[in-house]
Amino acid sequence: MSTQTISKSNTWKGGNSPFNVSYGKLMMWIFLLSDAFTFSSLLIGYGAIRYSFPSTPIEQIEELELSFAENVQAKFANGADAHHGEFFIPALRDAGVFSESQWPSPDLVFNHFPFAHGLHLPLIFVSLMTLILILSSVTMVLGVEAGQRGDKNGVTKWMFWTIVGGFAFLGCQAWEWTNFITAGATPWANPYGPPTFAALFFLVTGFHGFHVFSGVVLNIVIFINNINGTYERRGHYEMVEKVGLYWHFVDLVWVFVFTFFYLI
Amino acid sequence: MSTPNQNIDIHDEENYDPTVWVPKAHTHGTKDIWLKFWILLGLTVIDVAFYFLMAPSMARNIIFIALGVVKAVYIVGTFMHMKHEKLSLATMIILPMFFIIFFLVWMMYEGNFWGTF
Repeated sequence: MSTQTISKSNTWKGGNSPFNVSYGKLMMWIFLLSDAFTFSSLLIGYGAIRYSFPSTPIEQIEELELSFAENVQAKFANGADAHHGEFFIPALRDAGVFSESQWPSPDLVFNHFPFAHGLHLPLIFVSLMTLILILSSVTMVLGVEAGQRGDKNGVTKWMFWTIVGGFAFLGCQAWEWTNFITAGATPWANPYGPPTFAALFFLVTGFHGFHVFSGVVLNIVIFINNINGTYERRGHYEMVEKVGLYWHFVDLVWVFVFTFFYLI
Repeated sequence: MSTPNQNIDIHDEENYDPTVWVPKAHTHGTKDIWLKFWILLGLTVIDVAFYFLMAPSMARNIIFIALGVVKAVYIVGTFMHMKHEKLSLATMIILPMFFIIFFLVWMMYEGNFWGTF
């Protein structure tokens, strides 16, 4: 190995790290930038296609929300579930709320919550998913912080909770998909409106979900390596930081998927 | 797995070896992390409030995207440690994203006119 002394006066003349980060971390940042481009192209496409269809008129949604309240009372009166199953989608198709020519309001598509059958609860479940992912991002960054102090047990503890958060999010995603699929949605058919809606939903949340899955796998690798003392022997916990960057990026993408699919 | 060469100092600035060199790690504490968690939670609540209290419009969409950008600033800045990195690295990663945000809003607006020429 060369031992010549190189002047540090010029940042870009070699012999040092111009960005003051390790090679691996710099490459992770560049990968994340390219991955951000991929997700952006999907969301830009979603935005353009979504607004090439007219929105569901707000009066229709408000009218329906009143009738949901009555349906809940009807459900408890005769034991029938007026919101789910055979009643809901055909009735709204007949009323012209769900049609091929207008974009369905996410209010009326993703309005379920576990253990609350028949209740109209738009946005609540997906807000819970957002909370889970933000929390798992916090536990990740606490793990990184423990690594910076060289606290091996701290890293183990926080990585464990990060993995739990990742699985919780994936479980929620699976539940959301199951509801949508059992209603009759496929990548080429959508009982709620234009098939493009379902195609884009499966494409974008699927692509994001696969990123979450990969992130959980990487987190488990880090968790096991840390228990085995790999980073303690190496003298630094930078691998936790690099995988942490990926995990935060997945959280960041979810912020925008949430914005585009559920709010806009 | 090969054992690391004990003769190489991984933090050595003078004998810089890009295959092993890492900057010295130092913590910024956990207080800031929890503060940013509560801010992110609050911003999500504001999102939901806007959804239920404001009628759908392009102005509301721009509010949602702006809130998303604010959340992104906290996630990238604090959680991804970007505010403690060199300005050159932050610029390289963040500058392209400004064009993306512009393109997002632009194409959403443009979609309104598809098929209506």
